[in-house]
Amino acid sequence: MIELFMTVFSATFFVTVVRTSTPLLLSTLGGLVADLSGALNVALEGMMLVGCLTAVIVSVFAPWYIAVLAAIAAGALLGAVMAFFHLRLKADIILVGFAINIFAAGGTVFALTLATGGDKGTSINLPSKAIPALDLSFLGVIPGIGHTLVQFLSGHSILSWVAAFLVFAIWYFLYRTPWGLWLRGVGEYPAAPEAAGIPVNAIRAWSLLVSGGLAALGGAQLAMFNYVGFTRDMTAGRGFIALGAVLLGARHPVGALLAALLFGFFEALAVVLPGLFNWIPAELIRMIPFIVTVLALVLFSYRALRARQLRTLSKI
Amino acid sequence: MAPLLQAIDIGKTYPGGVVANNGVNLTINAGEVHAVVGENGAGKSTLMKILFGIERPDRGTLLLDGKPVNFTNPREAIDAGIGMVFQHFSLVPSFSVYENVVLGSEPRTGVRFDRQQAIEAVRALSEKFRLSVDPLPPVGQLPVGQQQRVEILKALYRDARILILDEPTAVLAPQEVEELFVAVRALVEQGRTVIFIAHKLPEVLEISDRITVMRAGKSVGEVAAREVTEKSLAAMMVGREVALRVDRAANQGALACEIKALKVTGENGATLVDDLNLRVHAGEIVGLVGVEGNGQSELLEAVAGLRPIAEGVAYLNGKSLAPLTILERRAAGLASIPEDRLARGLATGASVAENLVATRLDDRRYVRNGLLDLKAIKANTEKLIERFSIRVGGPGAAVGTLSGGNMQKVVVARELSEQPKLLLVNQPTRGVDLGATQFIWRSLTEARDAGAAVLLSSADLSELLALADRLVVLYRGKIVAAFVNSDDLTPETLGTYMLGIATQTPAEMQGALR
Amino acid sequence: MSMTTEAVLGRQARWANIRRETGRALAAAIIALGVAFVIILLTSKAPLEAFNVLLTAPISRPRTIGLWIDDVAKLTITGLAFSLVFQARQFSMGVQGQVYVGGLAAAYIALSPIGATWLGIPLGVFCAMIAGGFYGFLPGIAKAKLGANEIVSSLMLNYIAIELCNYLVRTQLVPPGSGVLTTNDFPATAVFPALVAGTRIDIGLIFAIVAVLAVWFALYRTAWGLKLRLVGHNAQFAEYSGIRSTVIMVSAMTVAGALGGLLGAMFVQGQSYGKLTILFEGGLAFEGILIAIVARSRPLAVPVVALFYGYLRQGAQLMNIRTDVPSEVIGVVTAIIILLVASSFSMPGRKFFARLLGRDTTPAAAMEAGK
Repeated sequence: MIELFMTVFSATFFVTVVRTSTPLLLSTLGGLVADLSGALNVALEGMMLVGCLTAVIVSVFAPWYIAVLAAIAAGALLGAVMAFFHLRLKADIILVGFAINIFAAGGTVFALTLATGGDKGTSINLPSKAIPALDLSFLGVIPGIGHTLVQFLSGHSILSWVAAFLVFAIWYFLYRTPWGLWLRGVGEYPAAPEAAGIPVNAIRAWSLLVSGGLAALGGAQLAMFNYVGFTRDMTAGRGFIALGAVLLGARHPVGALLAALLFGFFEALAVVLPGLFNWIPAELIRMIPFIVTVLALVLFSYRALRARQLRTLSKI
Repeated sequence: MAPLLQAIDIGKTYPGGVVANNGVNLTINAGEVHAVVGENGAGKSTLMKILFGIERPDRGTLLLDGKPVNFTNPREAIDAGIGMVFQHFSLVPSFSVYENVVLGSEPRTGVRFDRQQAIEAVRALSEKFRLSVDPLPPVGQLPVGQQQRVEILKALYRDARILILDEPTAVLAPQEVEELFVAVRALVEQGRTVIFIAHKLPEVLEISDRITVMRAGKSVGEVAAREVTEKSLAAMMVGREVALRVDRAANQGALACEIKALKVTGENGATLVDDLNLRVHAGEIVGLVGVEGNGQSELLEAVAGLRPIAEGVAYLNGKSLAPLTILERRAAGLASIPEDRLARGLATGASVAENLVATRLDDRRYVRNGLLDLKAIKANTEKLIERFSIRVGGPGAAVGTLSGGNMQKVVVARELSEQPKLLLVNQPTRGVDLGATQFIWRSLTEARDAGAAVLLSSADLSELLALADRLVVLYRGKIVAAFVNSDDLTPETLGTYMLGIATQTPAEMQGALR
Repeated sequence: MSMTTEAVLGRQARWANIRRETGRALAAAIIALGVAFVIILLTSKAPLEAFNVLLTAPISRPRTIGLWIDDVAKLTITGLAFSLVFQARQFSMGVQGQVYVGGLAAAYIALSPIGATWLGIPLGVFCAMIAGGFYGFLPGIAKAKLGANEIVSSLMLNYIAIELCNYLVRTQLVPPGSGVLTTNDFPATAVFPALVAGTRIDIGLIFAIVAVLAVWFALYRTAWGLKLRLVGHNAQFAEYSGIRSTVIMVSAMTVAGALGGLLGAMFVQGQSYGKLTILFEGGLAFEGILIAIVARSRPLAVPVVALFYGYLRQGAQLMNIRTDVPSEVIGVVTAIIILLVASSFSMPGRKFFARLLGRDTTPAAAMEAGK
């Protein structure tokens, strides 16, 4: 037990949590933007997966940042496909989302086979690149806290910093700019922005585009930092967990951050547990993030329900 | 000088073949209040949607300041100086008043939404046009009259020269209507032009300068308001003189439904119905009068079992309804025609037969051992289609393919197929054409004469005055007045109570609350 | 007299509807195959051969026909499970998890002493259905009681079931000392007998046919089914009619779960495996979404769609083995078919053909637009 506490409160563990949370956070932010515009994006999983593969393959030929941009573009493209079928051809958004997921699951393996010349499992033979970690060791010169600062802040993926910035940027966009007002209006009561002459469908389409880009950015982090390289189904449900995190984060960017950190914490725990307690079966450890998501969802729903009931009772 | 806005020979046929407009002419002069009147379904709403760029006409020309215009979306209409206040408000409930007003044309500094400037602008506008509203609270918390002002401010904020008000008085009490008219006059004084869509003729005659009458998708005439009477206008609207009248109850039976100290609260804890006592007898119609949102719907839903009762009891023939499920209440003789047939009264994707049998899935005639008796269901459906003259291809046709009036007939047929003891009716003829309205009114009075106790709520005061034997006025969930219906009872009298300006004493109500 | 005319008209309308839906599905399939062909053309060294295998290999030999029909039976069950929840307008995505818990339950029975008796098959199937039903019930009750989103919860339960199966196979069910993650073969009494010797066609096919008829009967001939469909059309209306929509919703998800469990038993007890191995389901469960959507959630249409789709699926597997094109290309085909069928796309060129034949298209077009 003591080892567990020592581990959990160490700087290394913090760095692990940041690493495991980043793909989730990016994907959750993507889910949030779509959700606030009134579209439940169940395709986050597939978009992440396509982001993973695009990043890996492009990084073989180009610098890492080009690979990341390519992943974003691929995700946005899937978002555009969703928008086209949902908004123009009036297909149910959930069905469209699952079509994207099925496409991604099969399509990535297919593309991987082509890229590797027959290998269907992993991209291990591809010389793919990694996203560099941001080295902040110069902070060490600060007297007193410098060393601790370096331990906690140095060595994160650049995308982790980008993700943290995006939490603020998306919050600012949603609550401080006119377009954020439009987007939230479209999600809550589309007739109002429609009557005000705001192009409702265009806003929804852009939201899905951004949503796809963000999810794929999460995928890039996953395949170019958390792991380097692509394996089939490597997202392993993270996109669906992100969907839960959107609900859990009460549809707010800061809530999304907290929810992503919570799930990231348990994923990190799953990373360190085998080293500490080798008697816990690996399968059960791998279950942890999913169990936590279900429990968190149930608890959150229960609390929301109680809150509604209490409000009713208190005024009687 | 060319008229400000002119529509010439407008035609619009919806996909599916419904001809909504067929040769409509409309001429609006600057600085006037111009009313467009017509029955439900005459094509007024379609015409307004065309003027505002929501729908595009199949033929015809629109001239603004004498120049042809062609709006492809509301944005272009707004930019041309046309503003519209819909009957169903287009407001985002969780947004504040000022956010709703400026939505789509926000003041900004850089990329930032300048809230302070927006608030100032809303304050200035509401002062200038005498439309007082606090800019800060979320609109979802405001009463309907205030929400309407927010809608008008929205149009004015966009510098609308022409303001289209689509049935603005439908949701207002008579006194609120007066306030609205004050604002409309202020608008005209400041040089704006108002197009006023309505079907309540006294209001039309009071506020407008000129009137265009529509009938069956055509404009059938344009008159100056001071040259016509209500009667001649009505004749133009329907093409023949009609007077809708029904007979009052001949006799009144025993006590059927008793509501004692009833209290209903909403999900957010607000009290919707407060300490309400009411008795309804077999063979009478009791009308619930009130501005929408004063507890009428909630009262009916609570009695029907669709909404929890916080305190108090409702009895049907001496038996408490509280422990009964919805099905058991129906078995006890309760029937209800809900407010919104599409949201609650029908499953539009299911067939007419399935809709008609939906409330009787515990009835041994149609279901035995959990199995459907398709023959019996079909026979029953055919019988009801015949009896209520529902125009439909057959029992298997989807309800969604019917017209509004026929859909409502399906609801009425289902609820009246067995003689109910207590009939709850909410907005029975909203959006229903004249023929179906008469049919539904007759069905209701027949059910009453056969011994049903009827509780009727309607936003249309004339419907209540035509049908009800007694009337109670609800204000903020409480009964504030009660009347025995007579020809002397006027909408104005009811209006004073509807707005809570006056309240009867218990002694005054006594006579009508029996 | 008039009634009979209307009945005839009604029947004609229904047939016209079926024809239109079939046409749309076929057009979608042709477009999707066209896209697949282009992809194969661009990526394969022998594209024509690959495409030939995809389209003809499944019926080339009795063995491959067996593989195809076996797939059809399984696809039918998952299609039925999705049809049931879709008709209730729920989006529970839990069939995959139900297959794993069902397979586990069946395996426990089969490997127990009971498995060696005549009870091995009926009890295995029964326990699988109970387990699957319970697993389907969980997201249902969480939604009914707490309003927890069923999409997220059912997806999480899928992953949990997969890991649970991995864990139990490794630690409990695999004979000690063996390195593979596969149990011993089930005793013959616990394995579905083959209907056609030497193929994989076993009594799972009969289960599938019975399930189709049972689900059809339940949906269209029982009060429960009518209630379920009414809840699906308009839950508020159902509530107003006195139908307890939450009960219907939970029961629909539970029954669908039982079907998922049955599918689990068909996997592990069928001729294809006859044992429990990890990840045995291979992603088939989710393909029920396609089956249900193309079949418009109509139980009687489900096996027809499964027949076509199963053929394609088998063709892709064989193409994977015999040529250089990986079977995953079928994922692209699936996605395109779902996208096209779920959307309001109309058959391309229909107006053109109609004009060519000199027919007036307006009434049909108007009807469609009015929908």
